[in-house]
Amino acid sequence: MNRIKTSASSAAVLLALLGASGGAGAVPFTQCPGDIYMPEVINGMPTGNLVNGTDSVPDPFLRDLAAVGQPVIGPNPDYKPGVKCMHLAAGDGFVNMADGYLQYMFGFSDMTGTDSSQAMVNGLLAAHSPAPTIELEQGQEFYLNLTNVGMTNRPDLSDPHTVHFHGFPQAMDTFDGVPDTSISINMGSTLTYYYSIVEPGTYMYHCHVEATEHMQMGMLGNLYVHAAQDQSVAAQPVKDCAGATYNHVAGQRYAYNDCDGTTRYDVEFPLQLISFDSRFHDSSMNVQPLPFANMKDNYPMINGRGYPDTAATGPLPAGAAQVENGGIDSQVMNALVTATVGQRVLLRISNLSVTNHYTVRVLGLPMEVIGRGARQSRGPAAAGLVFAASNTAAYGNAGANLAYKTSHVSLAPGEGYDVIVDTTGATAGTYFLYTTNLNYLSNDTEDFGGMMTEIHLNP
Amino acid sequence: MKSLFGKAALATTSAALLLAGTAFNAEARIAGTVGTVNAATQTQTFNLVVSSDYITTPDGGTVTIWGYGEVGKPMQYPGPTLKVRAGYHVVVNLTNNLPGANGLTTPMMPVSMIFPGQTGVTATGGSAGLMTQESNGPADTVSYSFTAGQPGTYMYQSGTRPGLQVDMGLVGALLVYPSTENPDFPTKSYDNADASFDREYMFMMTEMDPKIHQLVEFGLINQINNTLTTPTLWFLNGRNGPDTLFPDFASWLTHQPYSALTRMHPGEKVLMRMIGAGREQHPFHPHGNNYTVIARDGRMLKTPASATIDLAFSDYTFDVTPGTTFDAIFTWTGQGLNWDMFGHVAGDGSSCIPDAQGLHSVATDPNYKEPCADHLKPLPVVMPENLSLGFGGFWRGSPFIGALGALPPGEGGLNLNGGVVHIWHSHAEKELTNNDIYPGGILTMLIIEPYGVNIP
Repeated sequence: MNRIKTSASSAAVLLALLGASGGAGAVPFTQCPGDIYMPEVINGMPTGNLVNGTDSVPDPFLRDLAAVGQPVIGPNPDYKPGVKCMHLAAGDGFVNMADGYLQYMFGFSDMTGTDSSQAMVNGLLAAHSPAPTIELEQGQEFYLNLTNVGMTNRPDLSDPHTVHFHGFPQAMDTFDGVPDTSISINMGSTLTYYYSIVEPGTYMYHCHVEATEHMQMGMLGNLYVHAAQDQSVAAQPVKDCAGATYNHVAGQRYAYNDCDGTTRYDVEFPLQLISFDSRFHDSSMNVQPLPFANMKDNYPMINGRGYPDTAATGPLPAGAAQVENGGIDSQVMNALVTATVGQRVLLRISNLSVTNHYTVRVLGLPMEVIGRGARQSRGPAAAGLVFAASNTAAYGNAGANLAYKTSHVSLAPGEGYDVIVDTTGATAGTYFLYTTNLNYLSNDTEDFGGMMTEIHLNP
Repeated sequence: MKSLFGKAALATTSAALLLAGTAFNAEARIAGTVGTVNAATQTQTFNLVVSSDYITTPDGGTVTIWGYGEVGKPMQYPGPTLKVRAGYHVVVNLTNNLPGANGLTTPMMPVSMIFPGQTGVTATGGSAGLMTQESNGPADTVSYSFTAGQPGTYMYQSGTRPGLQVDMGLVGALLVYPSTENPDFPTKSYDNADASFDREYMFMMTEMDPKIHQLVEFGLINQINNTLTTPTLWFLNGRNGPDTLFPDFASWLTHQPYSALTRMHPGEKVLMRMIGAGREQHPFHPHGNNYTVIARDGRMLKTPASATIDLAFSDYTFDVTPGTTFDAIFTWTGQGLNWDMFGHVAGDGSSCIPDAQGLHSVATDPNYKEPCADHLKPLPVVMPENLSLGFGGFWRGSPFIGALGALPPGEGGLNLNGGVVHIWHSHAEKELTNNDIYPGGILTMLIIEPYGVNIP
């Protein structure tokens, strides 16, 4: 990558030039307004220099790269604080099931922060389970670059890929990621999705190409949007709520723009319920006919791991997958919930199994469902089924409060629930969140594990 | 009651009504039958026959089914959608024309109908059965009658060996419209302004295990074990995707008359009548927007004293469980995209004059109902060149609504008006297959057509 002397040239032009000069798909053409600089890495070692690049990270300042210390010479005119970008690679790879089974999968890996010129290499055999979490703020503009790096283990398979932002409100098909209704991205190429993030809540994302296959194969991830009400001023009534009397507390956050604090929480954890059918995965790897109707998932998981791996912190012990992946750890996320007594814990629970309904329970702590389908559990604000837009005044104070306390929540595939666990008065210790479909407390033939994780409640 | 079904409908036959409706309004309303209407006695009479025939599946197969059909018309899967008016007396006369088993002339088993959600159902004639009176042959007609008490979305099923007979196809929808509504041109589904809509569509979800149907065809009914069935076919309105996209009464789908293709204009309210008529749960996921669930099992989600449907809720996937019905309202405007969905540029002569909702208010303009806040905002990203892309059959070739862009030969072609297209499907993706072939199953499309495109 050339070092450039800074000019005020538009990032868009720069990106276009990079894309054009790269030839047919040689360098993924990522788009991210304000993305100019990135740390230089040579032979895997950071040099401490900044170079111009396309790492899908916006840069607030322009720097004189030719001068000693690369001093800031001014603000980047293309930088917009509300812009968030990501760069995902779509391909294949391996993961370790909790019983040690080596599982082939399709999936996404996070290339954000990596120069796009390296994505075609770094994305190979890098499929992660779950897919990299997408965490957004209401009001952001989100540029999602998707590069199809191809399937290393399936050279016969020239499948395109997409990202479907499941639950996105008022969606345009253009960026909905459904190959039948719009476009998908071929191997070696990059598609940039654009979303204006207007509604907070718990969503999910997945590839929608040959959805039954690509989703069973693991192209599934957590996606959620923080509420604008998080930006309220401490000791003042919460933001954008006419007549609200609930005063914001510093550090407090809200699942939705509730105007009354009923969805407030201290810590949040996305918990995505998925399950793999290893016979299906093996058939895929071995280029055999795929048993769609006979799918029976034998590896139920939360966030891409079966218990006890769900509750393990740090990287899992390297197994066969790391060998197959060339050292890449493809299960970097766990499902451990940690909190201190008195905190309100927001669980963003989604089910992206392609086969099974799952009910999950928290044993010993109260659950309260405060949202579903990326909406606060509220009735309409006015006649005509009008749900006040969540960024307008008095949103949460209007409409019947449909939140309810429970000890379990049942999710069909594709459903998402927001659950608050209030630990006020609870005894510190280890609690369990697990499926009450008890046969799925298994990692294949290991009959204790599967869809279960721990809640570590600290004093 | 003074109000009638409409001048033309008064004392006419169902056939005439059906034809009249088909001629100019085939898709804006739910295809079905109002039977023989006697406005004087406020009675609707349906004459149904159960018989055996074949349906076709998109993987090229055929499946033996049993179906209800109106006398003189093909039997069908699902059975005829019975559209009645609240307060009317409903009479259903059922005759069993199933073939005999092993050369016998009497049908291989009796059949019947039950009407979940209706009260005061009486059954006369026919033969005694466990749950209700049954028909046991061509000369053994049973008559069911009840007063359609409350508006709503209901189903009817066989009440005889239902584990087998419903899988075989003996299921249908019963839609009760408010007494003030014309079932052929309805504007609301309940006696509440919140239940008003511009268009209504039905989404009846069922599934089949073809092995059961083969055993029935071979006369091996005793070998069927319903507890071990494994469906490999999943249906919307009696069709597997992509057959769901063909129009109502497509000539080549003789016994599967009901489409599931949904069309609307931006800003219109679409009533979705979701019916779990089989044995499995089907989480129905509408792309494009959340829907608002307003009723369950024919009752509005409201507190008794409320004037509005105050317990309605918004969701992006909702689980339709066996034996239940759910009504939801869907709408779509494209508000909040932060780019001009028409691709307008300054100087092109377009305008956007917002109404109270912020949508363009000039009904004669092609961009009627455009979200004005995004008018003239450019598309924020550069679209990849065509060589980099895979194209869906419904892709316009353009990111903008109403625009048809250049596509390589053989691509696109299913979206003639440049509408915004969203897939609506079961999110148990296993159900998006037909005998192990993807795509199919519980899958259909929503087409949001630009204004100016007539949707019948």
